Amino acid sequence: MSFLHSVRDIFRGRAMGTAGLIWLCVILFAALAAPWIAPFDPLDIDPVNRLTEPGWPHLFGTDHYGRDTFSRCIYGARMTMLIGLGSVAFALVTGGAVGMLSAYFTRLGNFLMRGIDVLMAFPALLLALVLMTLLERSVVNTIIVIGIVYATTTARILFGMTLKLKREVFIDAAVCSGAGHGSILFRHILPNLISPLLVQASFIFAFAQLQAAALDFLGLGLPPEVPSWGNMLSESRIYVTRAPWLLLYPGLLIILSVFSMNMVGDAMRDSMDPRFKDDIAGV
Amino acid sequence: MALLEVKDLAIAVAINGRLVPVVRGISFEVEAGTTLGIVGESGCGKSLTSLAIMGLLEGSQVRITSGSIVFDGQDLLALPPERRRAVMGADMAMIFQEPMTSLNPVYRVGDQITESILQHRRISRAQARERAIELLRLVRIPDPEGRIDSFPHQLSGGMRQRVMIAMALACDPKLLIADEPTTALDVTVQARILDLMKELQAETGMAIMLISHDLGVIAETCDTVAVMYWGKIIETAPAAELFADMAHPYTRGLLASIPVTDREVDRLEAIPSRVPLIGETVTGCAFHPRCGRARPVCADIDPAAIAVSPSHSARCHFPGEDSA
Amino acid sequence: MSAAPLLQVEDLKTHFFLGTARPFGSGRRLLKAVDGVSFSIGAGEVLSLVGESGCGKSTVGRTLTRLETASGGTARLDGREILSLSQAEFRPLRREIQMIFQDPFASLNPRLTIEQTLAEPLRIHGLAQTRTEARALIAETLQLVGLDPKVMERYPHEFSGGQRQRIGIARVMILKPRLVIADEAVSALDVSIQAQVLNLIKDLQRDSGVSMLFISHDLGVVRHISDRVAVMYLGRIVEIGTRADIFDRPSHPYTRLLLSSIPRIVPGRKRVEDLGEPANAASPPSGCAFHPRCKFATDICRTTQPPAHAVDTGHLSACHHIEALQKDLA
Repeated sequence: MSFLHSVRDIFRGRAMGTAGLIWLCVILFAALAAPWIAPFDPLDIDPVNRLTEPGWPHLFGTDHYGRDTFSRCIYGARMTMLIGLGSVAFALVTGGAVGMLSAYFTRLGNFLMRGIDVLMAFPALLLALVLMTLLERSVVNTIIVIGIVYATTTARILFGMTLKLKREVFIDAAVCSGAGHGSILFRHILPNLISPLLVQASFIFAFAQLQAAALDFLGLGLPPEVPSWGNMLSESRIYVTRAPWLLLYPGLLIILSVFSMNMVGDAMRDSMDPRFKDDIAGV
Repeated sequence: MALLEVKDLAIAVAINGRLVPVVRGISFEVEAGTTLGIVGESGCGKSLTSLAIMGLLEGSQVRITSGSIVFDGQDLLALPPERRRAVMGADMAMIFQEPMTSLNPVYRVGDQITESILQHRRISRAQARERAIELLRLVRIPDPEGRIDSFPHQLSGGMRQRVMIAMALACDPKLLIADEPTTALDVTVQARILDLMKELQAETGMAIMLISHDLGVIAETCDTVAVMYWGKIIETAPAAELFADMAHPYTRGLLASIPVTDREVDRLEAIPSRVPLIGETVTGCAFHPRCGRARPVCADIDPAAIAVSPSHSARCHFPGEDSA
Repeated sequence: MSAAPLLQVEDLKTHFFLGTARPFGSGRRLLKAVDGVSFSIGAGEVLSLVGESGCGKSTVGRTLTRLETASGGTARLDGREILSLSQAEFRPLRREIQMIFQDPFASLNPRLTIEQTLAEPLRIHGLAQTRTEARALIAETLQLVGLDPKVMERYPHEFSGGQRQRIGIARVMILKPRLVIADEAVSALDVSIQAQVLNLIKDLQRDSGVSMLFISHDLGVVRHISDRVAVMYLGRIVEIGTRADIFDRPSHPYTRLLLSSIPRIVPGRKRVEDLGEPANAASPPSGCAFHPRCKFATDICRTTQPPAHAVDTGHLSACHHIEALQKDLA
């Protein structure tokens, strides 16, 4: 089955999921094409036109330095995608490895999963705050911190799914054929975890957005000069009465994007293997 | 008049918006106080038939496309849903293959039986509990006063199926539909459950419709047998007559496929190939691609039911002949 | 018997620890799934292990293939003890002991093509150097089990239950094993398909001369396929003998109950009375585990586990009352 066929199968008859997917494509396009479609440089300061209302040529108005909000929103999409994909990759690789290996090698698992339990005892935002205060503000560090936060839930979920798969008869059959640990883990277990992992990824993507926005808002995320939706919220909060559009546009974008990702995740979850449906909900 | 009369019942499953026939026009009767056995392999439509009679297909992907189900003089398919539920709740009951999944694991078995009694009868909770103990005694559960407070997981598979039977008997049904009631049970437990069903029938006079894939179970318990293949009843006769002289090649093939314990054969006479898939098209007799006595006519014309004797009929162009 | 048997199992025990019944409870309960089982299988012989759910018959098979860990006893394949080997030491021996599983839908990895599934054992045991070589062997084996070699490109979900079970058999036969353990290999199949697969297994066994441990709850199937039969009840073998011994001269009350419980098409055999409920392996009865259901039971049955008595050469029954039983049969 080709990739496009599976995409069609997942989204056929799921209107909310399809709408979410379209919105994400728009964001992705904005991120990739930002230098060409943004009417202004997002960092250009224009003290004459500070805090202008939405209109022409500043569609979404300008901020307190006179920077074009519309252009900053478009460049913000870049950060959104970068942080999202980065933290998803980090969470899946580290959390996935910990969860899978812990379930497969029970003794190692007893040890590793207790560590995961300790990390999970912290509320997600608190854990991110603690880690962020120890590190410098940068894109990479933000990705790592958010990645660690969601690696814990990923590890938990993959731990459960791997335990289930380990009891499958085809695993017994592979053992009887003489397959070693590597072959069982990578040929027999991992391929069966790909689709639940993708679903998990879409939910992490959504939550990573919120987490990143929250960190930015608290001044602990990306460096302040980087145009991200969270930073835009953070900087403009004191102008909320004078220039409410400064909060409105990035806020709306965050809400829409998180909602879309959740809808895409729901659609993927609904279309997948019923065996694992119950495991996924717990992000 | 028979207690249950099913006429030309056809059932279809909606697959990708298309209705695919699964049960293709079957007719049979169950007389009061007797047992009808429906036997066939998976996918032949036997379970859907029982669910259709119980009215359990509503809201699913399955539709009754034609036919009538007349129970006790009333056409069930013509009744409004509430009336239908009232008739069925009071006079019809069903037991399933897996007694564990049919019981709610978080309630005591006594509460579940009491609940089903209270749904149909206006009596006090204490009276219902008395009745529940009486029912557990009826299905030969030892120490019913003690067992009534057990949770389902504390009972063995056989005991759980007894509890299901007790629940089914709560309202003295006229018809008990048993869908593979002993398939999940061990053979020694199965023997006792089948004995129990026969004894209960003698005591209460209820009719039983027993659905099974096991010819042995059918032979031991049923008065009349209907054999289903790919959505049709291909042979029907009183049990004694059927097992003495099978007319349809599929029925014969089924019997020859079963390894038995009382004699040894070197090779089983397996029916070749497989059942057509749901939605596949087969012209003529659905069994002809697997049939040893098939002739050109079998590939063209779907045979009507031919009477072999007054009470025995088979859907075969050449009933009773030996295979070529 | 002059030649040493291919497989010699002595006093095999497989115990499991169950979790406690209550949260925060202490003390683990011990489940003796297999508790002192001894038998042997000669070269080219089919021994069936028959019994009801929970009697431990599948655990015997899973222990011999090292899917479960034995708690005691020995199993010698060709004189070589296999239960005390480490998994790494045992791996090369896996080629000789192969297993057919019950559920044809669960025993094939849904993500692998038939070729990938069948090539795996070849690769592991170094039986094919190139892909062409592997494909030739796979094609040959698929034909052997009655499938078109072209099916190797396809995925498991495209096959019916009977076809999948043939693929499972091909995965076993491709290694040319010396002992095949078939765990309820035809139980999940419809009668007409079951007969086809059973014929196939019987043919393959005869043609290849492989020894077989055939685990089943279905006495009809067992009579059809076995040379010798062992009847298990609650983790022990209660009776073992040739096929004729077990089916024509059953000498344990449980074997008789089992045989008389099978629903028959031709009415005949009288039911043996069953006095109790099937025993639970987590809380086994004292003495002979079958005594609560047995009409011959006396005090000794309630206190002492019966040893295996020889009824005849090679026909053993673990019952205190064999004489009374034989009188009853006469």
